[in-house]
Amino acid sequence: MLDRTISKSSLLELVDDAGRSRRLIGPVKRKDHFFYEQVSRASQLDLNFSYCVYGPKAFLFPPHETLFAFKSADGSFETESILNDEPTVLVGVHPCDLNAIRLLDHAFTETFCDKHYLARRASTFIIGVDCPRPCAEGVFCRDMKGNEAAGGFDIMCYPLAGPRGGDDLRYGVVFGTPTGREFILYSQAGERPTVEDERAFERYQMEKREAFPKMIPYDVDALPELLDRSYDSLLWEATARRCYSCGSCNLSCPTCYCFNISDDVDLSLKSGERSRDWDGCQLRAFAEVAGGHNFRPKAASRLRHRIYRKAKWIKEREGIAGCVGCARCDRACTAHINSVEIYNQLAEEK
Amino acid sequence: MPMLEQPFVRRHGRNLYEPKPARVVSVRKLTDLENHYSLKFEDGQPLDHHPGQFVQVSILGIGECPISVCSSPTRPDTFELCVRRAGGVTEHIHRLKPRDVVGIRGPLGHGFDVDDLHGHDILIVAGGLGLAPVRSLIQYILDERSRFGSFHLLYGARAPEEMLFQNDLTLWRESKEVNFHATVDRPNEQWRGRTGVVTTLFSEIPSLDPASTMVVIVGPPVMFKFVVLEVLARRIPQKNIFCSLERRMKCGIGKCGHCQANNVYVCLEGPVFRYGELKALREAIQ
Repeated sequence: MLDRTISKSSLLELVDDAGRSRRLIGPVKRKDHFFYEQVSRASQLDLNFSYCVYGPKAFLFPPHETLFAFKSADGSFETESILNDEPTVLVGVHPCDLNAIRLLDHAFTETFCDKHYLARRASTFIIGVDCPRPCAEGVFCRDMKGNEAAGGFDIMCYPLAGPRGGDDLRYGVVFGTPTGREFILYSQAGERPTVEDERAFERYQMEKREAFPKMIPYDVDALPELLDRSYDSLLWEATARRCYSCGSCNLSCPTCYCFNISDDVDLSLKSGERSRDWDGCQLRAFAEVAGGHNFRPKAASRLRHRIYRKAKWIKEREGIAGCVGCARCDRACTAHINSVEIYNQLAEEK
Repeated sequence: MPMLEQPFVRRHGRNLYEPKPARVVSVRKLTDLENHYSLKFEDGQPLDHHPGQFVQVSILGIGECPISVCSSPTRPDTFELCVRRAGGVTEHIHRLKPRDVVGIRGPLGHGFDVDDLHGHDILIVAGGLGLAPVRSLIQYILDERSRFGSFHLLYGARAPEEMLFQNDLTLWRESKEVNFHATVDRPNEQWRGRTGVVTTLFSEIPSLDPASTMVVIVGPPVMFKFVVLEVLARRIPQKNIFCSLERRMKCGIGKCGHCQANNVYVCLEGPVFRYGELKALREAIQ
């Protein structure tokens, strides 16, 4: 069910309004590729983008983030928490990346709440835009249920008239949060959906289901079971022969949230900062302890760890899959290792 | 334009990455590699930990590393750490003198469930540096002695000069509260005790009652398998065997991913596990 419909031009006006006092981030075309970037006006955004090379993760969990500042004082030390809660509007997020945000929300705020993530997340307003068809070859978002927006947005926009481009395009809008509802209703720019709109929305969803191919003979709910039987497969070793352990898959993944923590000191040696940086489980030293023992010394054990984490363990722990099927890891892989191929080969071993 | 503040539950609380200052009360050299530190929080609060938990020790400007607490919460005036010099942070910890200040986050992780141990006979088997984390439990048992049945403690080290807590060892050897035995792999000329791996000490303990005995095993992975075998041969149920794992840890709160062993975060669900749980974890004991 749709909550409202809104013309693309009205939506962009609203975004411009919101962006006046907030950081505005969305897909921008750079040569042949799209990237999430900060812009000053909504007209610089291309909401008919295919896919962004990287997900919007960096705006919620930046590659480098200060955790606190410290200074020595009277033989002891003092710390000062550094949190960033700059008001932000994130526009044009596809369902795969919305699902990735859902996972980050859960992973960072449950059990122990990470205040740094929460501060950014709570001050970010997210406008999702649906994709009527696969954004690229090789994506397996249908298998991972990554192509259905299940949350992580304040409003979700479905391009009802089809992506013809131009200002005549209308979006069917679904509210995800009370804030999203307020955003649309306050302006009165939206309209109540008509019976025709609802029918168009049903047609849209039907066509979308057919547009996305099934890439793996399992869906995301059955993958944990498939992997249960695959721990000792030779495939890990065989695939890992090509792996350079470069971590490109981790870097490009919208759900990878592992990090390292390190200190920087000022030249005075009296003050400094502790911060975190993205880390990658494929890098050789990721599980190495002091004294040199490495709990995952081989590329094969690290590769298996990544696939298990994405398709089994995170789902079992967080209730949300660790993979959204965006295939950015496959595109980024310097050795052409392909997760769809891995899943298919494991399925054949059955 | 309305406020676009998110309807997230604003969970107040500490920044979990910020350490609290603690002052070094005393430093004792244990071996060439290990020092023994006694610490006290500047705000006077006790650490309030369970035996088997750990803390993240910060040398601000250098970094942080996870260290097991080696003293019992029954001795709350200070808390103690045994630190092996093995990397950048521990190198700096070894330069600390009394009155110096370090940062502490914790207690972290899941320690020994002492309530499950109360009322049972206890066998503790420690190897090498593994004596440090179980020392918190040993002290606890000795301080709460009436709540436990018979108490056996076996300790194996590579060489006499690598043995930790020599004062404690002497105490335990003479104590009637604990049946303590130690062995070394490589004896020196002064060594008068047993020689051989820690499993050879099993001949020193009387028969164990499988129904009432809890076993704690902490040591290097290679030791673990052999000791578990010995314990299982004495018909101890797998759920009554506990052990503590070592992993790389950065955040200590189940976020950063470094300590993950298969699907568990050692910093959250561990470092203390029941053997029954660990068996399913292929990466846990290699």
